[in-house]
Amino acid sequence: MSAPNHRWLHTQLPQWEREGLITAENAVTLRKRHPFDESGPGIAQVAMGVLGALLIGVGLIAIIGYNWDHFTRPIRLLFAFAPLLGAQVFSWWALKQGDACARWIRETAAFFQAMTAGASIAIVSQIYNLGGDWPEFLLAWALLSLPLTWVMRSHAVVIFYLVCITVWSLHESSRHPAWHESARAYPLLLLGLFPFWPGWKFDQPLSTTLRWAVALSASIGLAAASYQMVDHPWSDFEVAAWMWSLTAAMMTLLPLSEAGVHASTRQKPQVVFGFLYLLGFGIVATFLDVGRDLTEAIHQAMKLPWTWLLIIVTIAFAVHAAIQRRWAVLSVASLTLTPMLALMTGEKAASVLPWLMTLHLSLIGITLILIEFLDRKGAPRLGAALLSVLIMARLFESDLSLLMKGIAFIVVGVAFLVFNIVLSRRHKKGKEKVS
Amino acid sequence: MKSLPIIIFAITALAQWGAPLSQIWTYEGVLTKGTLIRVKCAAPDPYDPLRGRYLAVRPEQTNVPLPEGMEAPDEQMGYVSITTGADGLATLSSLSFTKPTSGDYLYVRVHSSYDRQASIDWPFERYYLNEELAPEADEWFAENIRNTKGIIAEVRVLNGRAVLADLTLDGKPFREILQDRVK
Repeated sequence: MSAPNHRWLHTQLPQWEREGLITAENAVTLRKRHPFDESGPGIAQVAMGVLGALLIGVGLIAIIGYNWDHFTRPIRLLFAFAPLLGAQVFSWWALKQGDACARWIRETAAFFQAMTAGASIAIVSQIYNLGGDWPEFLLAWALLSLPLTWVMRSHAVVIFYLVCITVWSLHESSRHPAWHESARAYPLLLLGLFPFWPGWKFDQPLSTTLRWAVALSASIGLAAASYQMVDHPWSDFEVAAWMWSLTAAMMTLLPLSEAGVHASTRQKPQVVFGFLYLLGFGIVATFLDVGRDLTEAIHQAMKLPWTWLLIIVTIAFAVHAAIQRRWAVLSVASLTLTPMLALMTGEKAASVLPWLMTLHLSLIGITLILIEFLDRKGAPRLGAALLSVLIMARLFESDLSLLMKGIAFIVVGVAFLVFNIVLSRRHKKGKEKVS
Repeated sequence: MKSLPIIIFAITALAQWGAPLSQIWTYEGVLTKGTLIRVKCAAPDPYDPLRGRYLAVRPEQTNVPLPEGMEAPDEQMGYVSITTGADGLATLSSLSFTKPTSGDYLYVRVHSSYDRQASIDWPFERYYLNEELAPEADEWFAENIRNTKGIIAEVRVLNGRAVLADLTLDGKPFREILQDRVK
């Protein structure tokens, strides 16, 4: 349960006690189980502090950008180093305060220090007319700020770091021979956050906002890394596309705690991003002319060590997911394996793949609907949407006349709406039974 | 273990000072001890959102002849020797992948080779400007880039590193010319 939910629960408990819904003991148990520190700062307070530090930092960089060339070099350097020293003293003071330091002060100090560190390297490169493009500058800035995430536990600096490494990894579109100068270094950069999350004892929590930030950055950064692993990514785009499906499967299957398995989808952005890519990939792979390109792409991808690393990690995660009985997640993640299954048919693989993928997606769609009707938690609307998209894809590819395609689209649309109505009535009846 | 965050913080703070200070140390050395070379330029004028206005300085020479039998692999760092001509302008005379034992040289990124010529990136590419002088510099650059004498970049070179010290036209420093124009 997230902090806003805890806050809501704590505001409701006194009323529930008064109404006799729960006993005083129950209320104490619930307060202990879902603790909420009301003395802590609100998100607005933290945001205002970080915004203040951001504005000061950007202001400093803008002043540096003006280029005060009528001052001597030492004086210009002082412009950047004096704020850096001030920020470091501020952070040091906040660090020494320990738990007594309010979170918004800690966040402000850390973020301000990160900004002033960037300002100091900016002014040096300006004074000496140093080359290098701005993504390289961003990377240097991010690396100098990274340790602040470990010691100051600053969420703002984590987001700043993630933005920097993601933008940097996207910068190089063509394959760069030096791995450390390209997106292939992204996994290592992401691992840099390890002491912050999950921590050496795997006990550091991650807020919902940071989960989304990490998941988004990892999706983009790992995709860029895979793209850079391919020798000729522009001409062999399908190789990267299949490697992305492995990455999406790996993210979807990321091991979770028992509480994490039962948490809401909002708490698991990696599953959302993974599902979106895998379902999109699966639907594209159902088109007949994609089969040949994709089967050839897999042959090429299998020659790359990065592919094997992805496969090994995905298998390990899949075993863990099977132990946890995360069947829905496993069924969608397995879409990445369907092209490999098609390869087993030998020369017919290119023509078998689209039909095998259609069958796989259809089974997922039907299963998502059926388990709902077996009184278990399903996703009937997602299942119905998946089946509808599959039918439309097949119609789109068929040689039927526009008239027939149009009628078929209308029939599918009506069926989808009727299904939605039936489902809504079923839910309504279910709620009436409970009450 | 309680002191670990303090130690990490101290190392971070030192690194945040060390990164710019090491650059200052290196490039001050180049400026004070380096050999002065003059290179003819051609350039447009872009803008860096993080570090302010600058003139993109692009020396005319971007290719270096490859020695017989040498293949220039793509995206590799190499050394180019500098020769100064009778007109006082520097040219890049040869490429090697081992550090030259004598003479002035630059440590550069080699991109590709074609027709026994390797394409290189110069280790400097921008000249930062005061924001108020930048519009005047735009005009000055546009007016003079086709001047037969051309705009000359004065560069200090030491141990393969280079610092762009000034831009000149007819031997007159760039900033002086701009100050005169602004008046």
